[in-house]
Amino acid sequence: MIEYTIAMVMVGSSLVGCISGALGGFAVLRKQSLLGDSISHAALPGIAIAFLITLTKNPVLLMAGAMIAGWISTLLVMAIVKRTIVKEDAALGMILSVFFGFGLVLLTIIQRLPTSNKSGLNHYLFGSAATLLASDIKLMAVLSVITVIGLLLFWKEFKILSFDSDYAISLGYNVNHIELILTFLTVTAIVIGLQTVGVILMSAMIIAPASAARQWTNRLGVMIALSALFGAISGLIGATISSQVDRLPTGPTIVLVMSAFVAISMVFAPAHGLIWKRNRRS
Amino acid sequence: MNPQIEIMIIASIVSTACVLPGVFLVLRKVALMSDAISHSILMGIVVMFFIVGNLHSPLLMIGAVATGIATVAITESLIQSRRLKEDAAIGLVFPVFFSIGVILISRYAGNIHLDQDAVLLGELAFAPFNRVILFNRDFGPLALWTMGGILITNATLIGVFYKELKLSTFDKALATTLGFSPVIIYYGLMTMVSITAVGAFDAVGSILVVALMITPPSTAYLLTDRLSRMLGLSVIFGIASSITGYGMATLLDASIAGSIATMTGVFFLIALFFSPKQGFAIVYFRAKRQQVDFAIKMLLVQLLAHEDRADAFEMTVKHMVQHMDWDSRFADKIAQSAVLKGFVLRDRTRLTLTPLGREMAREALIR
Amino acid sequence: MNTVVPAVSVKDLTLAYRDQPVLWDIDMDVPQGVLMAIVGPNGAGKTTLIKAILGLLKPSAGKVEILGTSYRQNRQNVGYVPQRGTVDWDFPTNALDVVLMGRYGHLGWFRRPGPNDRQLALDALDQVGMVDFADRQISQLSGGQQQRIFLARALVQDAQVYFMDEPFVGVDAATEKAIVQVLKNLRERGKTVIVVHHDLQTLTEYFDWAFLLNVKQIALGPIETVITPENLRAAYGGRSALFGNK
Repeated sequence: MIEYTIAMVMVGSSLVGCISGALGGFAVLRKQSLLGDSISHAALPGIAIAFLITLTKNPVLLMAGAMIAGWISTLLVMAIVKRTIVKEDAALGMILSVFFGFGLVLLTIIQRLPTSNKSGLNHYLFGSAATLLASDIKLMAVLSVITVIGLLLFWKEFKILSFDSDYAISLGYNVNHIELILTFLTVTAIVIGLQTVGVILMSAMIIAPASAARQWTNRLGVMIALSALFGAISGLIGATISSQVDRLPTGPTIVLVMSAFVAISMVFAPAHGLIWKRNRRS
Repeated sequence: MNPQIEIMIIASIVSTACVLPGVFLVLRKVALMSDAISHSILMGIVVMFFIVGNLHSPLLMIGAVATGIATVAITESLIQSRRLKEDAAIGLVFPVFFSIGVILISRYAGNIHLDQDAVLLGELAFAPFNRVILFNRDFGPLALWTMGGILITNATLIGVFYKELKLSTFDKALATTLGFSPVIIYYGLMTMVSITAVGAFDAVGSILVVALMITPPSTAYLLTDRLSRMLGLSVIFGIASSITGYGMATLLDASIAGSIATMTGVFFLIALFFSPKQGFAIVYFRAKRQQVDFAIKMLLVQLLAHEDRADAFEMTVKHMVQHMDWDSRFADKIAQSAVLKGFVLRDRTRLTLTPLGREMAREALIR
Repeated sequence: MNTVVPAVSVKDLTLAYRDQPVLWDIDMDVPQGVLMAIVGPNGAGKTTLIKAILGLLKPSAGKVEILGTSYRQNRQNVGYVPQRGTVDWDFPTNALDVVLMGRYGHLGWFRRPGPNDRQLALDALDQVGMVDFADRQISQLSGGQQQRIFLARALVQDAQVYFMDEPFVGVDAATEKAIVQVLKNLRERGKTVIVVHHDLQTLTEYFDWAFLLNVKQIALGPIETVITPENLRAAYGGRSALFGNK
């Protein structure tokens, strides 16, 4: 019989892994892997401001704050890249560090406030899966369902956007709308994960399962499904291990499990794997 | 010297030490390596700490720098394997090292200064209290000496290898044919980044290192395209951010490092909007003006063309709307501007060229 | 179908980037059923012209009509083959999948391609000689093969007017011949094909009409009238390799 809190952590981690894996697939294919890093760092001030405004730790409100901040950061990066000489890597790095620094400023201000509600915001830094409640899980589940529905509904639009957006425009698609929906789903996936793995490691959750999955298949549908699966399994295994071993934080453990998946995939996967390549040559 | 001045001096030294390699990171489009390295070195620091047992030993520097280089090397080899794209490789490697570092801290070092918040934030406020005391004399804060040394090293290296760095940044092909190994220069730069990040770690934490390495150089990039000026401006913005950041932190009683990071962003935003060449506000108004100027030119050319054809053609605003497919308000505005500039005479709805307008039209056609 | 209305009608098209004109006052009426090349030196605005016609770039002034109505109302009738380099060929998909994308316009949001669409895609692949490669991962295709499936994707739309951007760059001789044959077949069927072309040498062999431009238009019409020494001098300034050949 699994203890209640541990069960919550396992379910939560699997959900997070699954959804970030699925959406990470598109991020990786569109070469926007590091956008996830930027969005998750930028979410911190959003969470802090949401708390300062409402003075509650209602996860819905905090996540809303995270989403708005994630949104703004994405728009800023795109605007900077589109209209100035500053390149994407620098834009991402700036948004990431400045927003995050500002978030830390807000957190330290919050620490000094007389309200008693404030502890626990620090958990968004490194995640604290151990404090997941059933209500958190419910919220995550709802958001996950929305994400899955979105993926299924707009599958071919996401596909053509990722592969050839100019051609999509010529067919009559409003590419900006598609981009909007995909970004919305991605930001949602990131925000779901923040509580579990924290801001810093969230980017790995976006990139790792998808990178592992890509090694095994050349078909988009299979890749996204595999990515979701790898993510879910890593989340589950990571959460389980960290619950069994003393003082082993959940977030980093999940990341290490996911990275192991990537390493194994790169070495062993047939069509792409390094070992296969070496054998072929001989 | 009172501690507040000391903190500002240390912060300024840290920021200058960071922006110098940062300029090259930005120009080479590898800015995020600063993020990757500054997160990874946590593991190096922790491992060396377990081996050496002393939090302030210089050996920590060696372990951390080794981790930084390892991060770069592993990322590069992943990219070379062509199984991963650049951005994915960068985003995969450093979380592994960082996670290992966090786990090590959590399991084996739970009750020492090396706690999680410090990793991100450092604690500049403590810097003045950690002093170098030799022969019973107080030589000032330790951070001043370490970062000062790093700053001098960075500045010297950049000064000595200025030509090589400049060439390999702007024209890799040429640099290679001239015999400068791009690999050595790249790893040299990354080593500089690693050393700087480690040195700054205790004082300001990893986030500020990233902010300083990327943001003031990017701000400078918006204002100039000359390398020497970019370096100079970056230093200025770095120091300005440090001082104003410290002021902000004192005012709000908040994290110093976070405040300085925020201020680097503020300066960038200001340049973003008001940079004479590229600032959003400037560009927006200039684009509007260019749009009008361009449209006036087209109007004049059309009028000239119809004049030359000598048919009884009347150019009116309504014709402009149809012919150019402009909306009527825009067409009106253009007509008015053309009149105000003396290019066109308006007789109720009919537009005719003035001699000046005819000249402008002919000039436009020549191009 | 009204055969008198021009396939593409461009009036006063002007496009500026910052304050530099990239296209200036282009007037172009392309009749239906013509196989036309757009030629000019580098930077002449050839790709920009196509993108402006297709609505991928916003002009500073001017109007574009496809078959007598606005492009927006007529997207079903336009097939676009972009430059091959605009796409990442490591994307996990196969040749058939790429061609199927050409059917998305018919499907609209939410609907999936069905067996009918698959058949049409296979037929299009057959037309370009690639039906045996239908389930081949696109990164394993050669440049010429990739170009062919790009063409098949446009063909599956069964459009009236086709735009192609430098389809012969980096492509083997066999593919080049095959593509030209497909284009000529399209013309036989009364379609209009407009191609940004980079090679003056093959102009007369492949095309009937030409549009010569260098920011401003120089000449439009049947090849013989357009490709003259004076026109080429005006477009390319200085010497042209074709000087002796006519």
